[in-house]
Amino acid sequence: MTNGTDARDGVRLVYHRFSAFHRFNHYLVMISFFGLVMTGLPLKFKTSHWSQVAMDGLGGVAAAGFLHRVFAVVNILYFVLEGSYMFYYVVARKGPIFHEDSIVPGKKDWQDMKGMFRWFLGKSPKPQLNRFTYWEKFDFWALFAGTVLIGGSGLMMWFPEATTRILPGVALNVALVLHSNEAFLATGVIFIFVHFFSAHGRPESFPADQVIFSGYLPVEHYIHERPMEYQNRLKAGTLDQVVRPAPSAAKRRLFSWITAFVTVFAFLVSAYTLLLILWPLFF
Amino acid sequence: MGDARNSAWCLAKKFTFPVRSIVTGALLGLVLALLVSSAAFAVTTTAVTTTAVTTTTTAPSLGQQEEQDAVDLTDRCLTCHAEKGIGVVDADGKAKDLYIAPQPYKDSAHGLLPCNACHTGFSHDPHQMVSNGEFFAQTANAACRNCHDDQFEMYKQSYHGELTRGGTVDGKGAPVCIDCHGTHAIQKVDSLEYKRSIPLVCGQCHGSRESTYLDTYHGKAVTLGREAAATCVDCHGDHSILPVGNPQSTLSSANILGTCQQCHPDATQGFTTFLVHVKPTSLKAPRIVFLVAFFYLSMIIVVFLFGGIHTLLYIYRGLKDGLYFKGGGH
Repeated sequence: MTNGTDARDGVRLVYHRFSAFHRFNHYLVMISFFGLVMTGLPLKFKTSHWSQVAMDGLGGVAAAGFLHRVFAVVNILYFVLEGSYMFYYVVARKGPIFHEDSIVPGKKDWQDMKGMFRWFLGKSPKPQLNRFTYWEKFDFWALFAGTVLIGGSGLMMWFPEATTRILPGVALNVALVLHSNEAFLATGVIFIFVHFFSAHGRPESFPADQVIFSGYLPVEHYIHERPMEYQNRLKAGTLDQVVRPAPSAAKRRLFSWITAFVTVFAFLVSAYTLLLILWPLFF
Repeated sequence: MGDARNSAWCLAKKFTFPVRSIVTGALLGLVLALLVSSAAFAVTTTAVTTTAVTTTTTAPSLGQQEEQDAVDLTDRCLTCHAEKGIGVVDADGKAKDLYIAPQPYKDSAHGLLPCNACHTGFSHDPHQMVSNGEFFAQTANAACRNCHDDQFEMYKQSYHGELTRGGTVDGKGAPVCIDCHGTHAIQKVDSLEYKRSIPLVCGQCHGSRESTYLDTYHGKAVTLGREAAATCVDCHGDHSILPVGNPQSTLSSANILGTCQQCHPDATQGFTTFLVHVKPTSLKAPRIVFLVAFFYLSMIIVVFLFGGIHTLLYIYRGLKDGLYFKGGGH
């Protein structure tokens, strides 16, 4: 049984956190989110000089609208894939739903949140975090619910004639207000207030957490970052399920390059978005 | 720890993902297929048919000599009127600027017309000072009529035209041709610049309607340069505009569907009940629209505030305990 040391039989071990499926889905989320923000947000901040620059760069409003729909289809795709996975997890694999390892929020998340604030203020040690922290659960469910709302309202505006054959015209008013506000909320959550910081900018992972691109992290980081999961697995003797030999050097280099590229790209997109939003406030 | 980790990593042996490669490849193929089909789909559904609602008047073609005469006459007027600071003081003691910027006029839709095509009653020679600054506004409609009689006849029947025959609305008189079209820098009605100016022009009197329109998709698209998107006049009509309550209006209950169908041929009666002029944060908005706007305003404030505080405190703790740059990023 593994006892938390790094090497076994001369092979470096890593903690395996995300499967290829989940990493693939994260790429889809990234591509569609960046694409939708770049092609959609200029409409919301229409008076910003940089909105005009973005629209002209994209080839005009009609071209941006076309690209927005392409990225919307990617958005629908990852939603369907994730939904299918959830169905598979619950129905076929009979995975535990309210288990402390699952993504469903529980009592421990509330306690962890209070514990983190106490730690921030220097009043107690850092809480023993589990497989998914409360901010990761927030990210996941905010995106899940947000995708339903923004996708639904987006489809209503994509097909306004069909929508108003079933619903009254005021449904399109609701869709417009909802889509525009949800987009702003999601952009703020992802780019500024929650995700980029909580996943990649916090001290433990700054400047970027490679785990969502490579799927693994070094065992000593795992022990430090997910102490509760580690202890539970150690007790239950299930550590072998998540500890594996490290990928080849070439593969590790590739993951580093991907992470670096995505980080720079994400930084540029969010900087441009921020410029686009803040410009009208000052000019 | 860093050195130990690096040397340990070098020991890593072969580790392949045959199953993952197959799954990833299949999913990528699926994405590509979906992208291509959606692209084809989007192209067919986003094309909005555009109908030219505004009627344009073809300028009478001028011979070369006439053209030169017109330019000569304009230049003669501009010897004085292109001087900055030229002006008169009218009967009420108000200063009236008579400066004309030459290039915007020459670039305008009327750039090849001589000044006296509109400013009738002026001789070619240096003319008498006209003490009444309102002189031209009173004769403007008549001057436009010389060439644009069809539009003038429609205008005369319209609500705007009706206002010229007496009465004011909110202390404002009737809008005449130049209030909407401008004067010396008059633009062709099919130009994007003119199209973009329409909501602002209507907004001079219908201010609240302007801002609510600009917040719709139509308004946003026009602001950012999409020529096909509808402006005020595409729904309300232009020269023959009538109040929505008038049965002859393009937006009366009998006519509204046909108006929407100019661009949205598949529209049904339900489509026409979309409310263009709604301020979602106003209590006068439909209850559900207001509630959605209110919900999101609250959510945005709460989430951004909480997330922001959480982030700042985390950074504070990280810096204070020296947790940054200690082998992050795995």
